[in-house]
Parts: sequence; C-alpha cells; structure tokens
Amino acid sequence: MKQLHSGFWTLIKYAILLAFLIWTVVPVVLVIMTSFKTPFDIFQVPVKWIFEPTLANYEKAFAAGDFTLYARNSLAIALVSSIISIFFSAFAAYGLTQFNLRRAGAVSNLFLLGKLVPAITILLPLFIIMSKGRLLGTYVGPVLAHTAINLPFIIWLLMSFINDIPADLISSAIIDGCSKMQVFWKIVFPLLRPALASSIILAMQLSWNELLFSLQLTDVNTYTLPVGIAKFVGSISVDWGKSSAAATVTMVPMIIIGFFIQKYLVQGMTMGSVKG
Amino acid sequence: MKAGPGQLPLRRWLLRSAGKNLDHFAQDKITGTLLIVPALFIVFVVMLIPLAYGLLLSVTDFQLGDAGLGNFVYLDNYIKALRDETFFQALKTTLIFTAGVLAAELTLGVLIAVLLMRIPLALGKVLRTVYTIPLLISPIIVGLTWRYMYDPLYGLVYQTLDTLHLDQHFGGLGSVQWALFCVMIADIWQTTPFILLVVTASLATIPLYLYEAARIDGAGEFRIFFIITLPMLRNALIVLTVIRGVDAFRVFDIIYALTNGGPANSTQSLSIYIFKRGFANYEMSYAMALSIITMFVLFALFMPVIRKTRTEGLF
Repeated sequence: MKQLHSGFWTLIKYAILLAFLIWTVVPVVLVIMTSFKTPFDIFQVPVKWIFEPTLANYEKAFAAGDFTLYARNSLAIALVSSIISIFFSAFAAYGLTQFNLRRAGAVSNLFLLGKLVPAITILLPLFIIMSKGRLLGTYVGPVLAHTAINLPFIIWLLMSFINDIPADLISSAIIDGCSKMQVFWKIVFPLLRPALASSIILAMQLSWNELLFSLQLTDVNTYTLPVGIAKFVGSISVDWGKSSAAATVTMVPMIIIGFFIQKYLVQGMTMGSVKG
Repeated sequence: MKAGPGQLPLRRWLLRSAGKNLDHFAQDKITGTLLIVPALFIVFVVMLIPLAYGLLLSVTDFQLGDAGLGNFVYLDNYIKALRDETFFQALKTTLIFTAGVLAAELTLGVLIAVLLMRIPLALGKVLRTVYTIPLLISPIIVGLTWRYMYDPLYGLVYQTLDTLHLDQHFGGLGSVQWALFCVMIADIWQTTPFILLVVTASLATIPLYLYEAARIDGAGEFRIFFIITLPMLRNALIVLTVIRGVDAFRVFDIIYALTNGGPANSTQSLSIYIFKRGFANYEMSYAMALSIITMFVLFALFMPVIRKTRTEGLF
C-alpha cells in the first residue's frame, strides 16, 4: 500500500516536470521551426512538425534585408556598453568598499535607486535632451542608457565579491608598500576575473535584449535587433517567416551563452543578494 | 621620504611616526572618490539630470520641437492626470498584471524548484538548464512568439484548445476579457525560470538535518514543506517579490509586441499608456507628469518591503 502510494506521487512529480518542459520548449522550437519553413508550410493547420527546411527566410532577413545592419548595431552597442559598465563598476565597487568613504552608504543607495525608477520616466526627458544635443540616431543614446541600467547590479555584485576577499591579503600588500591602486590592479582585479566575466556576459545580454530605450533613441541606421523586430511586429500583417528568422538569430546566441554561465545567472540577476 | 621634526609641524610628525600617515590618508580618500566618479557621472547624466529635467517639464506646457521650456502651467498636468480615467484604468491594469504574474510565478517557481530537488541530481541539472531558456530571450521576441502562438488561424494555442473542445470559450488576444490574461501567460512563461533559479539557490542553503529531524518526528512531505521549506525560503521570496514586482510594474516590451495596449485599452499598462501619450500624441509634458506619478506609486508600493530588506541586510 505504502509503495503504491509513493509510486503514485513519483508519477505526479514527473508528469508536472514533463508538462513544464513541454510548456517551456514548445514556443521556442516553434519559432525556430517556422524560420525554416516556406510560407506555404507556415500557414498549414494543424502545425506541421515535419517539413522540408528552407533558408529563404534567412536570405530575406539577412542577405538582402536590413537585419545584418541591426545585428551589427546590436553587437557594437552591447560590446561598448558592457565594457564601459564593467570597468566603471569595478572602480566604483572598489572605491565604495575599500576606502571607508563617509558617503559610501548613500552612494550605493543611489545606485540601487537606479533599479527602481521606471524606464519610461527617464526615457521621456532623455529623449528631449538627446534630440536637443543632436544625438538621436547615434550609438550614444543606447550605449549610455544600457550602461546606466547595468551599473547598479554589477556594482552590487562586485561589491559582494570584493567583500569576500580576505582582508589579510589586502592589508599585507599595503604593508609591503603597495598603493591602493596597485592593490586594485595586482590583487583585486585578478581575483574578480570570474565575476567580471559573468558580469560582462549579463551586461551584453541585457543590452542585446533591451527594447524601450533603443526604440526611441535610435533611427533606421542604428536600429538594434529588438527594435528591428518591434518595427516588424508593429505592422498589421506580420511576415512570420522573416520575423522568426530574425528572432532565431537574436535569441540562439543568448541561449547558448546562457548554458555556459548557468551558475552566474542567479548572482548577476539578483545583484548578488542571493548567493548561488 | 623621511621627515623629522624640523620639516613638519610637531603634531603631524607625531601622528606620522605613530603610524597614522595623514597625507597618505587624505590621498587615499581622493583616490577612492575618483574611483566612484565615472559611475556617478553616468548615473547623473542618464538618471538624475533627466529626472530633474522631467520634473521641470512636467509643470510646463512644453511640446516636442519647442526651443525653450514652454510656459509654466503650475500643476495643471497633475490635476489633468487625476481626472484622466484612462490613466486610472492603466493603473488598475498594471496592478492586476503585477499581482497576477507575481502570484503565479512564485507558486510555479517554488513548485518546480522543490520538485527538481527530488529527482536524480544529473537529470535535475539538465532540466533546470532547459527551463532557463525563456529567461535568456528578449521580451520583444517572447511577445512575438506568443503572438504567433495565439494566432486565431494558425496558432498552436487555438489548435490545442480545439482538440480539447474548449476553443469556443477562449477569446484570445482580440477579446477584452481574455487579452490581459493572455499577456500575463506570456510574462509568466518568460520569468518563472528566474524564480526557479533563485529559489533553487536558496533551497540549497537549507540544512539537511532539519528535514531528517522532521521526518523522524513523523511529518509528511506536505507538512515538511509548510513547516520547514517555506519558512526557510522567506528571505528569498521577499527579495524576489521586490525584484520581480518592480519589473512587472514597469512592463512594456511584452505588451508592446502582443497587443500594444488593446483591445479597447484592456491591456494598457502605465508604461504603454505614457509611451503613447508622449511619443504618439506628442504630449510630452503631460506624459512626464504621468510618468512621475507612476514613479511615486511604484516607490509607495515597494518602499516598505525594500526598507525591510535593507534593515535585514538581504540586499
């Protein structure tokens, strides 16, 4: 009786996990499949799971289309903003933790506040400032915005890492005659390398996926991939083939990278508040 | 550089020989401050200056293209907002959305995380990795994906409901009753994995002897969950409520892709409504007043929880 009972619960357990697996995977698989379908196959009811794949959608979107440009913009903006983010964050995290600054608490709260202000509240005035400065349609807007979004969580993440460095290591270097900056470059920075690696990936991911700021601060020449897709979705009849090809190219790199940085995802996304 | 009493004021020389090097100390402070300056500069340029500018413009009648600030109109924009029924409808929609997705995501995330702890380790790892996929996808693509899923003619949702003979009850994205629910499903699909990851990390910190003790005392699985697991997850759940709650309250991308606020404003969140007033209707100063009210509503909703997390050192 007892055994029958536990067998029943095991079944329920695996059934739930399987259902969640299907629910997670099916939409993604469907989009990837659609990107390889001909228009005829896309509009088959019921959905065709087996079909003859074609690259026509990719040719439409990338070989002749604008998405090559958007991909290049996305990559440039993501690279520049994430590199700026991690250097500025590493400096700030070191400054806030190792110098006993009187206002350190207030400043780190200010960075936290950045996580709370709605994007739209910042975007409206930023848009006007950018348009008055004739910076709309350049990389400056999205790069600044993405850097600002990334700074708070990377600073918080790195602060928790720096606090984990044994104090003896730093104080003995100082006794040996190292300046604070030498300590930073010779001890702290190398020790932070794993944290920096995950930070830069998370920062790139955020920039790569961000929509709202890029939507308003770029123009046809500087559209990022999400903006290109958004403009596409905005039209009345969506070209599912072309848009799913663009979507596939946008999401697959992030999914692959995600597999490799599993263990850092939690730390980065919660600003290091929940140690993984 | 060796300094004797001849070259320095006596007090400083004493301090220095006592090991408290004043010059170095002051220099350190300057170095420390300089290190923070670049990050602060970005925060000033992208956050504080726009915020102050937005606050200023919200009490004027500024229009896009105006050279100056426009005319000072006192609190007219704010008074207009208090009479704006669409704004309050958007607030209500946003609150329903936030509460709904939070409740669903927390429940589902905890459930899956707990179940994953009870299957073989390797299988659990693989499943968890696959479950994380939606989290890595741009929200606009999630919106696009689900729009395809909800397509009345070719969408998988209708086809599935059709085989279950439930399709006549389901209105989809085109119906006022169902659209918000559909949008929430897409959001739950995307962010439940985030809850799952954080809860998993938190579950790993619960000492095993607690479970063993409870089992020896004869507690069943459900009882163990409620007297041990859930209380031990409390801190993680508070942090998650803040992070996810704030994000859900600001929701834009998914709705923009799925419905753009329609039909009949039934899925119009605050961010979408303000975006439209500002960038489609070109009512910049009014949109800014709305966005500042929104910011304060967000603060009022989450500050109590955040203060709690700060005093308990959770952040």
